[in-house]
Amino acid sequence: MISFGSIRGVSAPVLRLAILSSAVFALGPLFPASGSALAADGVLSKDDQVCLACHGQPGMEKDMADGDKLSLQIKGKEFAASVHNAIGCAACHSDIDLAKHPAPGKKKQSLREFSIAKVEVCRQCHEDKSKLYEGSIHAALLREGNPMAPLCSDCHPPHAVRAKAAASGPIDEVPCRKCHSAVFKAYAQSVHGLARAKDSNGGAPSCADCHQAHDVVSPSSGNQVKDACLGCHYNALQLHKSWLPNAAHHFEAVSCPACHGPAAPRRVDLRLYDNGTKARVTEKLGVPRFESLARLADSKGQGIDALALQSLLKEFNRDNVDGDTVLRGRLEVDGGPEAHLLAAKGKAIKDCNFCHREGATPFQKVTISIVGPDGRPLRHGAQQDVLQAPTSIDSVRGFYAIGGTRIKLLDILLVLALASGVAIPVGHLSLKWLSRRYLQKSGDKQAQDPGSNGSNKNNS
Amino acid sequence: MHRLYVHPLPIRIWHWLNALGFITMIVTGIQIRYIGLINLLSFRSAVLLHNAIGLVLIGNFFVWFLFYLFSDKIRVYLPELNPMKHFAASFRQMKFYGYGIFKGQPNPHHVSVYHKFNALQSMTYQIVMLLLVPIQFFTGVLLWDVDRFQPAINVLGGLRVVDTVHVLIFIFFAGFIFIHPYLASLGHTWSAHFKAMITGYEEVEDEEA
Repeated sequence: MISFGSIRGVSAPVLRLAILSSAVFALGPLFPASGSALAADGVLSKDDQVCLACHGQPGMEKDMADGDKLSLQIKGKEFAASVHNAIGCAACHSDIDLAKHPAPGKKKQSLREFSIAKVEVCRQCHEDKSKLYEGSIHAALLREGNPMAPLCSDCHPPHAVRAKAAASGPIDEVPCRKCHSAVFKAYAQSVHGLARAKDSNGGAPSCADCHQAHDVVSPSSGNQVKDACLGCHYNALQLHKSWLPNAAHHFEAVSCPACHGPAAPRRVDLRLYDNGTKARVTEKLGVPRFESLARLADSKGQGIDALALQSLLKEFNRDNVDGDTVLRGRLEVDGGPEAHLLAAKGKAIKDCNFCHREGATPFQKVTISIVGPDGRPLRHGAQQDVLQAPTSIDSVRGFYAIGGTRIKLLDILLVLALASGVAIPVGHLSLKWLSRRYLQKSGDKQAQDPGSNGSNKNNS
Repeated sequence: MHRLYVHPLPIRIWHWLNALGFITMIVTGIQIRYIGLINLLSFRSAVLLHNAIGLVLIGNFFVWFLFYLFSDKIRVYLPELNPMKHFAASFRQMKFYGYGIFKGQPNPHHVSVYHKFNALQSMTYQIVMLLLVPIQFFTGVLLWDVDRFQPAINVLGGLRVVDTVHVLIFIFFAGFIFIHPYLASLGHTWSAHFKAMITGYEEVEDEEA
């Protein structure tokens, strides 16, 4: 009789798989079914010990068809300490026919193909996480055939996986750094990274705290990252309201790192937004409309200018019967690594002049973007004048920073109004003064010559 | 010459508060829009002052509005419904400012208690007080708290549309603020209308028998 009561911390699906694995092994001639086949915490089960009798040997490997080698060595100590020790080898390797093991079989093409096949194995127990992963940018990249798209085993070494280690461990163990090394380097120097390095349990966020572990999406495709900031800094808006006019609007139009990453380069991203569906415009898979229209609008390759931007918007509105496509602007950090180099609160940009003046650097780079089929933004450069041309009243109607993106034509009108305001009284006064002098001289002349018939005789 | 009480106390209070407020709004408005070009105040101080004075001016507007609404003095703002009469009077007034005044001719408009504005003033102040000022206040309130009023801003066409309307009216007032006192100096003495707006009494020439 197998007793499951002794397996602490093992979830129901895991238990189900443990039963399944025991059954699989029970059918094999080498592994008689018995209660002792299951592992206790930190101790390998007898069944697994049998596997590791071979697979614990250093240098054990298998040739892939592409010439690469798959290491078959499992470090017993690591596996015993892992959460998968509870379910044992057979739970994931149920495809192995022990009677014919090791079978010559057909070689897998590559390590990558092997790992992709094993994703399905993970799914058997981790269905909820798999679903989240399916909606992630990582899965989208995998579907696109990107060879760098991470698979389960890239972040969670299956034979050494520990509970929540990937997401919550010390920063040195965060798997994201393998692919996002530049971002990680910036993060490690940030106020969050430094705090995390000092104390991994101190509450400072690691990658997954802001980007999610499995349903990770492109940071600029939604509000997830901003929500993550406000998840911890829940009173941030109140604190900003105490000194920042229109604080809520700043939160909407400016990304947190744009001010809290003082050294970062910035850009204005003008996002195509559908007022009908209340969502960002998304490129359909296989129909690269945005790129072709943007290239057409930017024939010289110098960035889309103000007039071309209006034409581009018209194109997007041509078939839109539900609503209208508009541009929503957002001031953000130009580049992933820089967005992670967040400084301590005291070093954040607090000077209004930084943005609200003519020629302010944050408005010198402009991009137009939509959401790509994989969730990542598709961007095309625009000329800086799209923010200041008179046509921006219509095309960039949702983004405006006083002073920084003001329309120059209005400046000319103001100068004319001020000049007129001064010139009209001065001119009128001068004419009045000259005419009075003339009238006075005429009056004097008339006084000297009473016989003459003065024209202003009746106006006195 | 005789004295005629044409500017009641609430209107005089409203006028001078409005004058001071509008000058402050124009100066802070220029400071907000052209930070770096002039540096009288920090951007933030200029915004806060602009917002505060704006709210005072809105309250002050209602002093003017309610006074005229509930008094018979509203007649000074009633438009001339006969367009021919209105245009003839306007033309006469334009002719005076553009020609007659240089010849020393008398002002064709005669001030009375219920007829204190000439045809040009009447038309200008109807546009200013009943159209431009309310629009300026309305757009200003929307820009004061963009997030709160975002739905209204969207209905009007977006933040830039609202801001551009606000700036265009600001440009009008920036020019108007110079011309208004100059026109006020064209009384029978340069200071006559200024004094009248302090005392309430205009000095009016006696009608010839």
